[in-house]
Amino acid sequence: MADALHELSAAELGRRLASGAFTSRALCEALIARHRTLNDKVGAFTHLDQADVLAQADASDVRRKAGQGRGPLEGIPVGIKDNIAVKGQPLTCSSKMLAPLVSPYDSHVAERLRAAGAILFGRLNMDEFAMGSSTENSAFRKAFNPWDLERIPGGSSGGSAAALAAGLVPLALGSDTGGSIRQPASHCGVVGLKPTYGLISRFGLVAFASSLDQIGPMARSVEDCALLLDALASADARDMTCFGPSGRALTPAGDARKLRIGVPKGFLGKGVATEVAAAVNAAVEFYRSQGCAVSEVELPSADLAVPTYYVVATAEASSNLGRYDGVRYGHRSAVSGTPVEMMTASRSEGFGPEVKRRILLGTFVLSAGYADAYYVRALRARAKIRAEYLAALSGVDVLLTPTVPTPAFKVGEKAADPLQLYLEDVFTIPANLAGLPAISVPCGASGRLPVGFHLVGAPLSESKLLAAGRLFEDAHGYAHQQAPL
Amino acid sequence: MAEGFDIDHLAKLARLSLTAEEKALYASQLGQVLGHFQALAKADLPATADDARVVDESALRSDEPGPVLGVEAVTRLAPASRDGQISVPRVVDDES
Repeated sequence: MADALHELSAAELGRRLASGAFTSRALCEALIARHRTLNDKVGAFTHLDQADVLAQADASDVRRKAGQGRGPLEGIPVGIKDNIAVKGQPLTCSSKMLAPLVSPYDSHVAERLRAAGAILFGRLNMDEFAMGSSTENSAFRKAFNPWDLERIPGGSSGGSAAALAAGLVPLALGSDTGGSIRQPASHCGVVGLKPTYGLISRFGLVAFASSLDQIGPMARSVEDCALLLDALASADARDMTCFGPSGRALTPAGDARKLRIGVPKGFLGKGVATEVAAAVNAAVEFYRSQGCAVSEVELPSADLAVPTYYVVATAEASSNLGRYDGVRYGHRSAVSGTPVEMMTASRSEGFGPEVKRRILLGTFVLSAGYADAYYVRALRARAKIRAEYLAALSGVDVLLTPTVPTPAFKVGEKAADPLQLYLEDVFTIPANLAGLPAISVPCGASGRLPVGFHLVGAPLSESKLLAAGRLFEDAHGYAHQQAPL
Repeated sequence: MAEGFDIDHLAKLARLSLTAEEKALYASQLGQVLGHFQALAKADLPATADDARVVDESALRSDEPGPVLGVEAVTRLAPASRDGQISVPRVVDDES
C-alpha cells in the first residue's frame, strides 16, 4: 500500500485519508522515503525538513481523529517553491545572496495552506530569483527532467514541476512572471495555472517583477490544480494589488463543450517543433469534435511580447534587487573599503550570472537618456498587447496555443545563448503582460518528452480554463501520469 | 551593440564588479538581446500606457496598525546586532 501512495492524485489521497485508509504520517513517511531515493537524481528539492513535515502530519492526524479536519487538503503535502516564505524554513530563491536566511514569517499562501490543513513539504529548486527557463541558474544544484534526466525540467519553477512528475509530492506551488509555472509544467507533463493578476496575494513572495509576478498551483491533474487554487485565493490587505476571488468559483464550471476557442493566426508557424504542432493541432481538433466553436483570431502585436516583457521585467528586477546590498538585505562581503566598495563586492559575490545579466539590462533600459526609448515604449506596447488580447477574448472564451515551441532541451544546450532561452517564453509572456489567467495542460509527447497546450482567458475566467482542461484530461490518458524513474 | 550601451557605466550604476571576461560576455549577449528589442523602436504604439490593472476593484484599505515581527525575530536575521538594534557597516562615505 505505502509503495503506491506517490501515484495517487491529491483528490484521491484526500478521500482515502478521510476514510481512514492511512494516516498523513504514513503518507509523508512514504514521500520522504521516495525523496531519499530519487531527489539526488532529479534535484527537485533544495531542502526537506523531515522532522517538521512529520510534526505537521501528526498534528493533522490528531485534528482528523478529533473530527476537526479542515477540508479536502487536510493532511496532504504541498511542495513550496523556494521564493515563497514559510515560517522557520529556508528562503533562498536558490541564490547565494540569501543562502542563510530562515523566514521569520509565513507568506499569505502558506497561511492559507495551514488553514486548509495541508502539510508544507520542503523547499523546491528554482532558477535564481526566478530568472530562467531551465532551473540551470540555481546556485545550489541543477534540477533535471524526470522524463529524461539529461534534459532540463524548464523553469523557473523547475523543481516544482520535476517533483510532481517524479511523484515526490502530489501538489506544488510555483510562481510565474513570464511563464515560470506553465513552461516547466509543459516540459514535465503536469498541469500549471497562472491566475489572474491579483487573485492570489503576493505577500511573502520574494519580488522579481512586481507587476507581473503571480503565485499559482501546479499538480498532476486539472482536478488537483483546481483544488489547490481554491485554497490559495483570498483577499489580503498586505498586497494592495490582491482583490481575491470576491466570491467567484475557482473550480471547473460551465459546459466546456460550449466554449468558443480562438487560435491565434500564424502561431503554429513560428519556430514550433513538428511534434509540438501536431499534438496541439490534435487538441484543437478534439475540442472541435466536442462541439466547441473554433476560430482564428488576430493578435497583430504578438511579436512585441518578448521584447516588451524583457524590458519591463528586467527594469522592475533591477529596482527590486537593489535592496540586496549587504546592508539592507543579503550576503555581506568580507571586502572592506568604502561603503560602495563593500556593497559592490556583496552584490558581485551574491548574485549569479543570469541575475547580473538581467540587472545590467534593467539598469540600461531605465538609465537617463534611454528610459524613453526602452522602458516607456515597452509600457505603451504592454497596453497595446493587453488591448489586443482583451479584444480577442471578447469574441472567444479562450485562446489556444502550444505552451512552449519545442520540447525540453538538453542541459547546457542553450546556456550560452540567453536570447534563445528568452524566446522559450513567447507563448506564455502575453498572459503576464495583460494580467490574464492561463493554464498549461499535457496533450501528448515528442518521443518520451511531454508536450502541453496553453489556454488564456479573460480576467477571472479560471473556472472556464479548468473546465476546458478537465474536458481534455477526461478524454485522454495524461492525468496523474508520472515519469518512469 | 545598441547605442549608449556602456558596460562599465552600467556595472557602476548597478553596483556590480565584473571581470574583463564577464564584461565581454555580457556586452556581447546583451547586444543580441537589445538587437531583438529594436522591434519596439519600430512599432506603432499608443501614446500612453495604462496602469495595467486588469480588474476594476479597489484594493486600497484603511491604514491601520497590524501585527509586526518582534525585535528578537528581526535581529536574529541580521549578521550583527547590539542592544536590540541591527549593526551595519558604516554606510555614509566621508567623501560624499
